[in-house]
Amino acid sequence: MKLSILIGGKAGQGINLVSGLVSKTLIHQGYFTFNYRDYPSIIRGGHNFNILTLCDKQIMSHETTIDIIVSMDELTSSLHKSELNKGGIIIESASYEKFGLNLNVALAGALMKILGFNHDVLIENIKANKSINNEKGIEAATAGYDSVQVKYNLSSQKKNITIMTGSKGLAIGAVNSGIDLYTGYPMTPSSALLHELAGMMEKNGHFVFQAENELSAVNSALGASFAGAKVMTGSSGGGFDLMTEALSLQGTTELPLVVHLAQRPGPATGLPTFTSQGDLGLALRAGHGEFPRIVAAPGTPNECAEVTNELFYLTQKYGSLGIVLTDKHLLEGEYSYEDAPKKPLVVKVDRKVPGTTGFISKVSSYEQGEDGNVTEDGSVVIKTQNDRLARYEGMRKEIKDKNISMYKLHGKKNSKNLIIGWGSTCGAIIDSINKGNLDAQFLQVIYMKPMSPDIKKIILKAKNIILVENNLTGQLGRLLRERFLIAILKQNRILRYDGRSFTPGMLIPELKKRMKK
Amino acid sequence: MKAIPIPKDEIGKIADVEKSKGLKFLRTASPVTWCPGCPNYSIMEGARRAVLNLMKQGWKREDFIMVAGIGCHGKIYDYININGFNALHGRALPTAFGVKLGNPNLKVMVFAGDGDNYSEGMEHFIHMGRFNPNMTLIVHDNQGFSLTTGQATPITQMGYNKSKAEPYGEVHYPMNPLKLALMTNIGFIARCNARDFTHTAEIIEKAMKYNGFAFVEIIQDCIIFNTAVNGRDENMYKVESKKRTFDEALKLASEYDYNSKDGKIPIGIIYQDDSKIAFDEKFPPLKKLKEQKIGWRDFKRS
Ligand SMILES: Cc1ncc(C[n+]2csc(CCOP(=O)(O)OP(=O)(O)O)c2C)c(N)n1
Ligand code: SF4
Repeated sequence: MKLSILIGGKAGQGINLVSGLVSKTLIHQGYFTFNYRDYPSIIRGGHNFNILTLCDKQIMSHETTIDIIVSMDELTSSLHKSELNKGGIIIESASYEKFGLNLNVALAGALMKILGFNHDVLIENIKANKSINNEKGIEAATAGYDSVQVKYNLSSQKKNITIMTGSKGLAIGAVNSGIDLYTGYPMTPSSALLHELAGMMEKNGHFVFQAENELSAVNSALGASFAGAKVMTGSSGGGFDLMTEALSLQGTTELPLVVHLAQRPGPATGLPTFTSQGDLGLALRAGHGEFPRIVAAPGTPNECAEVTNELFYLTQKYGSLGIVLTDKHLLEGEYSYEDAPKKPLVVKVDRKVPGTTGFISKVSSYEQGEDGNVTEDGSVVIKTQNDRLARYEGMRKEIKDKNISMYKLHGKKNSKNLIIGWGSTCGAIIDSINKGNLDAQFLQVIYMKPMSPDIKKIILKAKNIILVENNLTGQLGRLLRERFLIAILKQNRILRYDGRSFTPGMLIPELKKRMKK
Repeated sequence: MKAIPIPKDEIGKIADVEKSKGLKFLRTASPVTWCPGCPNYSIMEGARRAVLNLMKQGWKREDFIMVAGIGCHGKIYDYININGFNALHGRALPTAFGVKLGNPNLKVMVFAGDGDNYSEGMEHFIHMGRFNPNMTLIVHDNQGFSLTTGQATPITQMGYNKSKAEPYGEVHYPMNPLKLALMTNIGFIARCNARDFTHTAEIIEKAMKYNGFAFVEIIQDCIIFNTAVNGRDENMYKVESKKRTFDEALKLASEYDYNSKDGKIPIGIIYQDDSKIAFDEKFPPLKKLKEQKIGWRDFKRS
């Protein structure tokens, strides 16, 4: 049982309300959902759509072939008609226009009926939503409901499913780590975390600061870290570029710092509201000079929570920089789960911070001598630099001791075909293997730096390696080549760089073409 | 990051330590690398005395923290023995603001240069009046980038012809940081003469006690690079401490244009608005830290 519903219209028409209402109902009935959001960088007008997929099994991707189109304007049906599956239906807005601002509510009512939910379930869900719980809302929903016939009869399943986005996952991970301060500056898609943490501020008691720019956000994060706070900052694209000098400051000061890099397609302003994996190289190298860092890329919202917590833990313990690498698809995609993130590691700040009786704490952007002041003594510099690099050893051991997953293997064990990918492409890759019943194993790389040496063994064991990335040049492929001297054949790289995420529909044939029997 | 024990001979009654250590109290052992005769020495002495006086009034030494920029001025980090963060060039203010966000009970003093603060770090300076964090900014205004050997800053006078970067001489109009401070809503604005360390100490002390963001400009000669603007002591005069309206303060701030050799240079507190609310009093989580007199590290969430 799997259905794809496309809900489209102009920005500002309330598309998210429809998909939100329907997906909430669906998970209560025990269905897994995945909601993909496609919208341009404008506030009003244009063409926006969500593709809400529902399934009785876990899914983490969407399709571009559609069973039901909910069309809030004429453009939607004309643009997407060709994507309709055989027997698919379109709910046109024309007959509901009299509901004005409640057009979306009326359409939601119609959609719920088509899916076979009874009227009580609809009203219950309307009442749970503050913005539409009023007479007009209920009237519109009911009228919509009464205007169509039941087409699918979704029976209720006994499951306990929750909806979660990547940004929510990151926020949960930060809160689980005892975050004290988040600093940021608005930029899509990183703003999703800024908003998420700001929304949780009152309840959790941390503080969120919207700085005057990214330079301020990152430098103030380091100042606060020095004063003993557990801090996180983050940005996307150019905003992250602006932070890079201070990442290097993290290198000399060794102040714990977790940075979220939310990828979107570049260069420059690029495609602000679309997705990309084009900044892996940036995360690995950003900042001048040589200093240790951890770069990790979660692939699902639960992993977002886990990796964020791990980075808080490791950066506190090893005075290092930790970069959580995500993208728009992962941050804003609405996943659904039965399982919760792993039990978090307890993060403690145990060092002498300014204010400690009897001590003076000093930290500097210059190389420091034992007295905390500037030094240009070559032997001190050598020792400091060596000590910095040596911290990787401790980190590796800690990662092992704490059972942190540096990579994951999915799909068919010991298959001769090995698919390699990372981050948000995981959803489409895993769903492709399941849906296409593919003879393939999938290696999901999570920790890019440090990287597990197991990865080399896994790759060497496979007969056929296929790389899947959401970028132009295959950046993970390049990293593997640098790290393990393993090159992936050009014809075996499946790369997508139009700002859109992979779907099983397009991935399965691409994989099949490259798989060995 | 280093944590260094406070020297044994500096623990005890302040008056006794002062007697035994004299000018070495609150100083590190690092050799000073400023040019002999550079007024940075007396700025440092002014700052040291301000800290000392505040300690005598019960402020804890461990609660003081200085954040310095990069330039000749920034070397002060190496010489005064209190907590310190030697930040990036231009980023002393946001770094200090972060320290304050991490522990609002720390007493933060920021040392910056005119290049540091008005060129590289301008985007932070003009927001300080808005945010109004409870900390003090001290800018060493020597009208030049000195550490990088004498290029022009945003307050260098026109016609300055010593910059290797500007073979035609300085042709840009200098800006007036005091007027800018007023326009951007900074609530405490003062000016000092680098050579007068007693007065500087007095003003820094008042700035540190001000509940909000305090800006202290120090007119400083660089005896090596932009020497053409040196020796302005005769033009300087002390203003009386009294409450001034914005317009009165603006008039005072306009007396010196950073360009010509004539024109009076008023010294002292130019403007003070006691009605502003400090940043950490606006937000419940930070208010809690202040009430409990702790930083985030020691804060227990219920
Ligand atoms: C990002 C960056 N740009 C440039 C520099 C080089 N730099 C070091 S000190 C300095 C200027 C210092 O001038 P000022 O702040 O006025 O201090 P002064 O030396 O006059 O006390 C510059 C440009 C740097 N360290 N970092
Ligand atoms: S170059 Fe100028 S500012 Fe720097 S130490 Fe020498 S006199 Fe002082």
